[in-house]
Amino acid sequence: MKLLVFILKNIRRNLLRSILTALGTMVLVVVVILVWSILWFLDQQTKEKTSNIKAIVTERWQLPSRMPLSYAPELRAGAVRRPEHVRPLDSMTWQFYVGSTEQGRFSRDTVLFVVATQPEKVLTMFDDLDTLPSDSPDRQQLQKAVQAMKSNRQGLIVGRERLEAINKRVGERVKVYGLSYKGIDLEFDIVGTFPEGRWNNLAVMDWEYLNGAVDAYNRRPGVRPHPMTERSLSIVWLKVPDMRSFTAVASQIASSPSFTNPQVKTETLASGTAAFLEAFRDLIWGMRYFLMPAVVVTLCLVIANAISLSVRERRKEFAVLKVLGFRPTHILGLVLGEALLLGVVSGLASAVGVYVVINHVFGGLKFPIGFFSTFYIPEQAMGWGLAIGAATALIGSLVPAWIACRVRVAEIFARVG
Amino acid sequence: MTKVFLHNLGWITGVLVVLTAGLLLGARIPLRYNIRNLRVRWIPTALTALAFTAVIALLTVMLVFVSGMIRMTQMTGHPGNVLILDESANDEGFSNIPASDVGDLVNLPGLVRDGGRAWVSLETYLVVNQLLPHVQDGRPARRFLQMRGIEDVQMAALVHQMQLHPGGRWFSSAGVREIIGPKGQKITAIEAVLGEGIAREMARDRSPEELAQAQSPDTLLPGDTFSLGDRTWIVCGLMQSSSTTFDSEVWAKRSLAAGIFGKNTYTTVVARTPNAQTARQLSEYINKEYKKAAIRALPETEYFSSLQETNRQLLVAISFVTVVMAVGGVFGVMNTMFAAVSQRTADIGVLRLLGFSRRQILSSFLLESLLIALVGGAAGCALGSLSHGWTATSIISSNQGAGKFVVLRLVVDAGTLGAGMTLALAMGVLGGLVPAWRATRLRPLEALT
Repeated sequence: MKLLVFILKNIRRNLLRSILTALGTMVLVVVVILVWSILWFLDQQTKEKTSNIKAIVTERWQLPSRMPLSYAPELRAGAVRRPEHVRPLDSMTWQFYVGSTEQGRFSRDTVLFVVATQPEKVLTMFDDLDTLPSDSPDRQQLQKAVQAMKSNRQGLIVGRERLEAINKRVGERVKVYGLSYKGIDLEFDIVGTFPEGRWNNLAVMDWEYLNGAVDAYNRRPGVRPHPMTERSLSIVWLKVPDMRSFTAVASQIASSPSFTNPQVKTETLASGTAAFLEAFRDLIWGMRYFLMPAVVVTLCLVIANAISLSVRERRKEFAVLKVLGFRPTHILGLVLGEALLLGVVSGLASAVGVYVVINHVFGGLKFPIGFFSTFYIPEQAMGWGLAIGAATALIGSLVPAWIACRVRVAEIFARVG
Repeated sequence: MTKVFLHNLGWITGVLVVLTAGLLLGARIPLRYNIRNLRVRWIPTALTALAFTAVIALLTVMLVFVSGMIRMTQMTGHPGNVLILDESANDEGFSNIPASDVGDLVNLPGLVRDGGRAWVSLETYLVVNQLLPHVQDGRPARRFLQMRGIEDVQMAALVHQMQLHPGGRWFSSAGVREIIGPKGQKITAIEAVLGEGIAREMARDRSPEELAQAQSPDTLLPGDTFSLGDRTWIVCGLMQSSSTTFDSEVWAKRSLAAGIFGKNTYTTVVARTPNAQTARQLSEYINKEYKKAAIRALPETEYFSSLQETNRQLLVAISFVTVVMAVGGVFGVMNTMFAAVSQRTADIGVLRLLGFSRRQILSSFLLESLLIALVGGAAGCALGSLSHGWTATSIISSNQGAGKFVVLRLVVDAGTLGAGMTLALAMGVLGGLVPAWRATRLRPLEALT
């Protein structure tokens, strides 16, 4: 306790330096936490799960994937052909309808990317939404929206950012002019929004409404079948209990004679995500192995500088302490303690600040990488801030503390004399 | 903010250089005094300079990366070229122009003609999955490869102003060649021409056996083969495509590529007009008056310039990181300079008594801070320059979802180094100003007691 009081007094003694060092630490810890939050999230997304695995089936060779809609029933059943075959726990299909809320204008404020799927799957298959606690307000709100979509085929759930961008509200009607489905314009009733998060910029519609509209288009007299009629299925999602089941389902699909033109491929969501992120490989590498070390090194240098200045100014004081009976380890502890306290407090304060500001003020960190547009600071960041502050403070103060504890009393007083 | 900074980089650099020069020339207190002080307090000086080095090295590499991407989007495309896509597509990848609609496009007005033959290239652009059975480092077992199926490669070379490296040739009109496989069997290989960047990228993912037989460990060369879409492909040439998006593409006979990957429509028609003005006129004509097909047109350079969204986002991120790190560095140099002032209180008193003015004291301390910044910044630029020649993969995209995977070569240029040194000097000024001002506020007699 005495040591702590002593450390606090020393920190207060040169308040300006302590504040500058703390501020330096805080701003640099902000960068570390922001970058780590992005890397941590991407690592989570590309890490293979061992249970409740999501698999995606897409066209084997081409991107964007476009498969015949007739593939859907068999793929959703995991291409089961024999009794011993494994059936997925759950499934859904995705078709993409891209349109604009203004005819002839296609801009950031008018574009709407809509996923056409089975409405009830929003609650059971969509990432992050399927894990919402059943008693959470977000889940209950979403359940209402899904129910509304099931009773009204024109129902549309829109992400919050997109809703704001197109200047609409829940309960309003919106007409969307088809771009990916040219000539097929759809009217929607906005029945709800997604909870804040990764679905902020997407919208979801009932697949039956889209496919019904395509059928209606094709039934018009004298009109050639719509170009999207043949191949409108983009992704089939499957949920399987474990890796063994995934391997079995993937093999069932690969060996099925039904999927030859075009061929399809099955992969885990993590593997598919990793392939998409491959384009950002060097960017992510740079963030992990170049940016992070550079920030940590700068942080260590800022702390080392402050502590070495402090040690240099207090050589006489350390000599007096030695005369008073303080052992070198005491002085070492004193200097390290000062640095550690500064590092820990400013690291933690920075982490708490960035967590609150980014998540609750800015609504996430907007940095689009692949199909991830918004990143959030995880709760673990508190620990990171504390650990980075402590580690850099220790590393930065080690040499100055060593110099402080090696102060020779005779030399110091000889100079004073 | 970043754009403002980069646009005014010359002015900012000029102001900082003039300030430094002014301080140097106008300094009455000898520079030797500052240098000696820095040497005496070499530990904090070195630590502060090292912090500058880390910040500036980081900035240099990040700027080199983004400027490489910007250069790529600006250098791709010929000003006289018009890019024609289907009416609803904003990107080649989503475009579908039926074969029945492209025939008449050679008759468009204002096209460059050679012996009556219009300079028009008919193409199918595809992004395809390439399986990578020998991939290392836990990377995914496939990559997205950009394939351009070309109807007439000689015409495409003319329209895109593309040349091959010596030793290569364009693919034949058949687009295939018989080669002898590893087990002595005859294989009909599809001929392909590769961009330099993708040739280097594909060379990385070869098996040890393939590498042992490779002509070069660093890149695929004419005669090398690769697998794609269950077929064997043979490289017949490497394009001189550096700093363009074509650097990341594989070109092959359209009928073969489209057939294998199941895309039977055209995605892109590139038509050459004499210059940028005629390209704009032709684009307007197609968009407003051409009714024979549901197509839209835009100058090719405009299309590639629109793919700047990723660059913009990266610039914002870089600016943020740089500013935050610079603030950290400024706090560091402030610490050093405040300590210098407090250690030299008596010196300051003596200097004032000797007749040096407050302005000269301020100049002297500011100069000291700038010297640290100069040394640290120069070391940072030198360290960052080591990235010159590195290859990096990235993506360029528009804000409407369109995008291309690219392989770019990092080039450290004077502008980047100038930006690095400007930031270093700015940090030096900001970090040194308050302590230097405090030094000027000391009263001579009080300072000596």
